[in-house]
Amino acid sequence: MLGVKNLHKSFGSNEVLKGIDFNVENGEVIAIIGSSGSGKTTLLRCMAFLEQADDGIYTFDELNKDIRTITRKEIKELRMKMGFVFQSFNLFRNKTAIQNVMEGLVVARKMNSEEARKISLAMLEKVGMADRIDYYPDQLSGGQQQRVAIARALATNPEVILFDEPTSALDPELTGEVLDVMVKLAKEGITMVIVTHEMEFARNVADRIIFMEDGVVVEEGPADEILSNPKKEATKRFLRRILRNEEE
Amino acid sequence: MNDRFIRIVKILVESFPKLLVQCLKITIPLTVLSFFFGLILALILALVQIANIKGLKQFARFYVWIFRGTPLMLQLFIIFYGLPSFGIYFKGFPAAVIAFSLNLAAYNSEIIRSAIQAVPIGQTEAGYMIGLNYFQVMVRIVLPQAARIAFPPLFSSLIGMTKDTSLASSITVIEMMSVAKRIAAVYYEPFWMYMETGFIYLMICTILTKLQADFEKSLEWKQPDEVKVAMQTVEEDNRNHKFRWLGPGKVK
Repeated sequence: MLGVKNLHKSFGSNEVLKGIDFNVENGEVIAIIGSSGSGKTTLLRCMAFLEQADDGIYTFDELNKDIRTITRKEIKELRMKMGFVFQSFNLFRNKTAIQNVMEGLVVARKMNSEEARKISLAMLEKVGMADRIDYYPDQLSGGQQQRVAIARALATNPEVILFDEPTSALDPELTGEVLDVMVKLAKEGITMVIVTHEMEFARNVADRIIFMEDGVVVEEGPADEILSNPKKEATKRFLRRILRNEEE
Repeated sequence: MNDRFIRIVKILVESFPKLLVQCLKITIPLTVLSFFFGLILALILALVQIANIKGLKQFARFYVWIFRGTPLMLQLFIIFYGLPSFGIYFKGFPAAVIAFSLNLAAYNSEIIRSAIQAVPIGQTEAGYMIGLNYFQVMVRIVLPQAARIAFPPLFSSLIGMTKDTSLASSITVIEMMSVAKRIAAVYYEPFWMYMETGFIYLMICTILTKLQADFEKSLEWKQPDEVKVAMQTVEEDNRNHKFRWLGPGKVK
């Protein structure tokens, strides 16, 4: 459904993505893991065109073309079918929780505000934020902000939601509430691509895990297989390091 | 000594209405008009830089460089005394409005530009991702937040302008300062005359400062009272947040 072939991206002389092949099928949950600097966030941002990739083939539904030739209009159309959850939440700070969720419906999709409000309320309920709808982002904790951000991404009924390290900016005691919401979404069959450092979570929700290092996909496969029985040396090394850190 | 005192009081009382009239007739209109045009031009200069429009952006940088890099008095003189050599004549008042507007635009455009850039770029990205276009992101998300950030420094610039209008006295505009000079020369009491004039400037700026405080309050994003009470419990959590300083005002 959504995928890239031979994706390249450099920042100056620093090549961050060195020919990535990647695709996600309808209903699939994919976790992308790897150490910082491996290019996983850049990959996600290139798929949403928050970064312009240098080379590669881009596929989304019936769209299938050279990533350099995709027009502004096509980008806008594909973003309409996509949700994105940021590491730093990025809620609109001049709008309340419910206004944040309604914005995409009312302004971008011209829905009447009554209907948009109904949908937004349902989404905020789903993420457990129904009692905070009139709060401004600054009046919410990080975990609450991220849950509102998830509701905002859900409201437009996207075909796929991309999560860029959704819990990395949170205090450890607040990650649980966000991960719980994501587990719920995975169970509902929502297509998700998640860049994460939470291995236990990845094992529980991901159908497939992709391990990246130095701008290439080193290994990919079913979650259990990658985490319990990795084939490549780099994957083993990474998992050893992560698991040791988690025990501490 | 007693006679001197009575004389000074008499001069001050007599001159006060003259100064005030000139203040209302010239100083304040000059300030308001210059600030108004200066702000519009500033917004345009800031937006072409933010939108990165080729050519216009470079022009804006050049403009800011010129008008911030030369004295305001010199700009006044060029427009009033200099342009007539090219057959362009302005009367004192319009020349002052033009010079002040052009000068203010340079400073204010920098205030507006930095305020827009102070809104975290992540919110723009989030706006794009829910399907908004550039214009919608600017008008609905970025500019409302930038306005709050820009407001205090813009008001400072307005207060500064109020006092800078006194420079217009050097190009034959009879504003408050010119009247003070004339009266001071006639009665030979410069100290008390200028003190009185200073007092009037101070009064105007006091009123402006009060206005600023009221406006700032009205710019706060409104919230229901029960939220205000409840949010005190969340305050703690927010202290660590990196963009905290951009948020709504502190809870009383």
